[in-house]
Amino acid sequence: MMQGLSQDHKQFYYQLVIYLCGFLLFWEWLRPLEKITDTENIGIFIIFAAFCFFISALQISWWMGMPLKLIGLIFILDGLFIYNSLFSLDWFIVVYRQLVYNFQMIQAQNWWGMTPFFRSLLFLLLLWLMSYLLYYWFVVAKRLFVFVLMTFIFITVVDTFTVYDGKWAIVRIFIISLVALGITNFSKEMETEEIPLKGVSKIRRLILPLFGMILLSTIVGYAAPKPDPKWADPVPYIENAIGGGGKVVQKVGYGEDDTRLGGSFIQDETPVFQAAAQGERYWRIESKNHYTGKGWENTLEPEIEIVQDGNLNLKTYEKEVKTEERYTIVNFTPDANIDKLVYPYGAGDLESYPEQFELHSNQTNGMVETFVGNNPRQIPGYKMKFDDPSFEYDQLRNADGEDPDYIKDVYLQLPETLPNRVRNLAAQITEGEENRYDAAKAVESYFSANGFEYATKDVPVPEENQDYVDQFLFESQRGYCDNFSTSMVVLLRAADIPARWVKGFTGGERTEETVILDDDETYNFYQVTNGNAHSWVEVYFPEVGWVPFEPTQGFSNPTDFYIDFEESGNTNSEETAPQPETENEQSTGQPENFMEDMEEASGGMSAANDESNRWFYIGIITAVLLVGLILYVTRLRWISAYLLKKYKRQTDSGTYHQAYNHLLKVLDKKVLARKSNVTLREYARAIDQHFQSNEMRVLTHHYERALYRNEDQPEQWKKVTELWENLIRKALS
Amino acid sequence: MTQQLYLYEPKISEVLRNVKKVMVGKEETALLSVVALLAKGHVLLEDVPGVGKTMLVRTLAKSLDCDFKRIQFTPDLLPSDVTGVSIYNPKEMEFEFRPGPILGNIVLADEINRTSPKTQSALLEGMEESSITVEGSPVPLKEPFFVMATQNPIEYEGTYPLPEAQLDRFLLKLNMGYPTVQQEIEMLNRTSGEHPLALVSAVLTKDELVEIQNKVTDVYVDATVQRYIVEIVTATRKHSGVYLGVSPRGSIALMKAAKAYAYIHDRDYVIPDDVKFLAPHVLPHRIILTSESKFEGFTPEGITKNILEEISVPVKRDTHE
Repeated sequence: MMQGLSQDHKQFYYQLVIYLCGFLLFWEWLRPLEKITDTENIGIFIIFAAFCFFISALQISWWMGMPLKLIGLIFILDGLFIYNSLFSLDWFIVVYRQLVYNFQMIQAQNWWGMTPFFRSLLFLLLLWLMSYLLYYWFVVAKRLFVFVLMTFIFITVVDTFTVYDGKWAIVRIFIISLVALGITNFSKEMETEEIPLKGVSKIRRLILPLFGMILLSTIVGYAAPKPDPKWADPVPYIENAIGGGGKVVQKVGYGEDDTRLGGSFIQDETPVFQAAAQGERYWRIESKNHYTGKGWENTLEPEIEIVQDGNLNLKTYEKEVKTEERYTIVNFTPDANIDKLVYPYGAGDLESYPEQFELHSNQTNGMVETFVGNNPRQIPGYKMKFDDPSFEYDQLRNADGEDPDYIKDVYLQLPETLPNRVRNLAAQITEGEENRYDAAKAVESYFSANGFEYATKDVPVPEENQDYVDQFLFESQRGYCDNFSTSMVVLLRAADIPARWVKGFTGGERTEETVILDDDETYNFYQVTNGNAHSWVEVYFPEVGWVPFEPTQGFSNPTDFYIDFEESGNTNSEETAPQPETENEQSTGQPENFMEDMEEASGGMSAANDESNRWFYIGIITAVLLVGLILYVTRLRWISAYLLKKYKRQTDSGTYHQAYNHLLKVLDKKVLARKSNVTLREYARAIDQHFQSNEMRVLTHHYERALYRNEDQPEQWKKVTELWENLIRKALS
Repeated sequence: MTQQLYLYEPKISEVLRNVKKVMVGKEETALLSVVALLAKGHVLLEDVPGVGKTMLVRTLAKSLDCDFKRIQFTPDLLPSDVTGVSIYNPKEMEFEFRPGPILGNIVLADEINRTSPKTQSALLEGMEESSITVEGSPVPLKEPFFVMATQNPIEYEGTYPLPEAQLDRFLLKLNMGYPTVQQEIEMLNRTSGEHPLALVSAVLTKDELVEIQNKVTDVYVDATVQRYIVEIVTATRKHSGVYLGVSPRGSIALMKAAKAYAYIHDRDYVIPDDVKFLAPHVLPHRIILTSESKFEGFTPEGITKNILEEISVPVKRDTHE
């Protein structure tokens, strides 16, 4: 009441701190732009945002603030896009033309046709708007929580779906929001409890514990162990829903949806399982048969066999193939979220696995799903006997029998939309090869011989009417396993060779752990991570079965082939794949190559100027903010509609209180502001006067009984539900 | 008052109707007096002479079928003139107690600030303790016991103002105020013919009154409303212009008055409106201002009003405790 000037000053500084927190949080929204898109101008946008926030924070009147911000906006647009001197006649003409052109584009709903000038203008206006909105939220209404929550959601979404690493952003937001919420809470508390702000020491007494708490919780939060994600990566699913517009970046790992391949991914070294093996081998999960032009689907009717006595019956080759009996143990990392078996070629019998698990083995694609009851569950681990196949070159070469009909029906499928140049290329590559094996080898080595590049970044997604393989073969010529393996299958099929696409994991990294299994051999444990997720090719040979091939650059086929020939012209190192023992050395070199590829790719990334990408994210931010804004502005409406439904069903006294208080809020916002010193009865009288009725008084009379008499009578609420509904409707209309 | 929606308790409404027959435009003062009566409190009427203070009390007393006593305080009045004295009865050969006017049901203490503090305290003791001490032995007072004291504003000559600390013995301090022109003309009209007081008949017996007083104590006060009361009272203590704020006795007084007020409106629970309406009558005479704030033109009434405008009314279930 009689506070001095210093109180006002303190109030101002307090608001400044809160508003600064608002700006820092908003900055977190802009940061991802910097990381995942072209970074050229983002600094200017941030400066403009800071400028707008600063002007708002000064609390000068709007007729001074608005022109200042407008000048800033014009200045930026001029500096970025207009080369004529500022405010000259030409300048105005350029601006006018830009505006006219863009409005035409908007009218034509040609959103991508808008010029960078106009999109920047819109973005600057958005920043301007946000400075107002946040000023209102943080300083006037002192409601920070909604924005804090939205910021968290935004960062998690961006972190999940893009290459942006939100790890530190989350920590920053955490600290900023704790500071802001803490200070606001203090101020509210001081207002309600009327603690006078006297002297620095008192403030210090309040603020120091706050910062102590924040520091402590940050350290604890950072240091505490965090569980792995509880649900599968939603990226492929959502990507699918979006329809693959724009460039999408995903995390590497085993996923089930391959209907839309393409796009960059980032490396993820989360462990998936450990497996005992002698040398690196591929861990198969399933194959897919149907190529759509964009990706893979499984269109075969599943033939599910429930596994009895551990007999998997998953041999992909015929009895004639020479095999060697081996054993393996697979231990999944908890929460790796793979409710399927991973198995080496020649998987035979499961020797031991947890009893409660039921295994459904799909004979058509080799997928073995693990169930507990009717729910898919990840199996913790199992021990398996398998017959490790070795393919004899001559056998493959001479396998010139007729393919069975079902093989021809299924594994020669190609989409009708497949461009002819792919078929032509297939014919060209396999020309002169006398047998299927040599043809397959020719295709397999085509990529390395023609400078195809292994890359995980800047890998394009095919346009709407573009074929995934065609794009890779003739346009981008860069990609990762999916690109290589899919292309090889498609090329083989185009050359009338039955082939299918296989998914699983590569061998992983050898650990120090060893185990001696039933055959008295020493096995090493290999750590397989999400980064080992892989896809390769199986080619059908009559009388032999399915033989794995590895077209991907930098990967070697771990399958054992007899080394009693040296003639193929395109032979490269992996063809003469040595025995598992020696192969280890080679495989240890692989990750390094891989990392180099990664670095190279990321270097190219930052240099790239992908305009559409940038606007894609700006679009996302704008949309999220707009949706948030709309939801916030219309909140009374939709909350009321929701509550109306909810309260009609409920009858407990808590409902009564909530309903009445919501009504108060709505009336306060929409009809007549209620000062806090006005009693319900006085307010009801004023409301009734406004509506020319007595509904509010009757309702209030009932509510008074519930509140001030502490009466718990559900039937009371039933009596007045209609009144309440009427009043809400009147208030909102 | 615009509370048509909520009617008075029937008996009380008759009492108030009686007052209306006699007095013109004094409904609120009458209503507040009844509040004090039902809350077993006492009223201090402060106003200039001739505005109808005595008439109000007499009308109330007559409506209630109670023993009405009047003490006209003068500078030479002695405590025994209030309490009564023992007089030697030659026939019985012993002293016999002749009760003073304080041993009535409704006592009008007219111009209480004209007598000496000694005599004042005799009355105040009775109001506080419900008993008086006569020649060393306690004498209980009658029930119901209701004092309406009147005083002229203290700036008048020849008065002994009541000590501020003793003012809070009174539940309410009321001002009559001058009537409006219209009301005064109406009053002139009523003076012709029979005195209206003669038309008033008792509508409430002594026992009924005691019963009502007991019922009033049973009126429910919710924790949210109690918190509201305490917030108002503590705000008076924190106010920078106040030398001494309202004591906890003031909180109790405000709650008791609110209960009675709720009862009068035929409610068995107190709502914040009751508190808000009564606070300007219960609190100001318990507030002592600093000399600076007096000098600056603050009044206890003004400060109470400010506080009521600042304290928020509880409108939802208290989630604090």
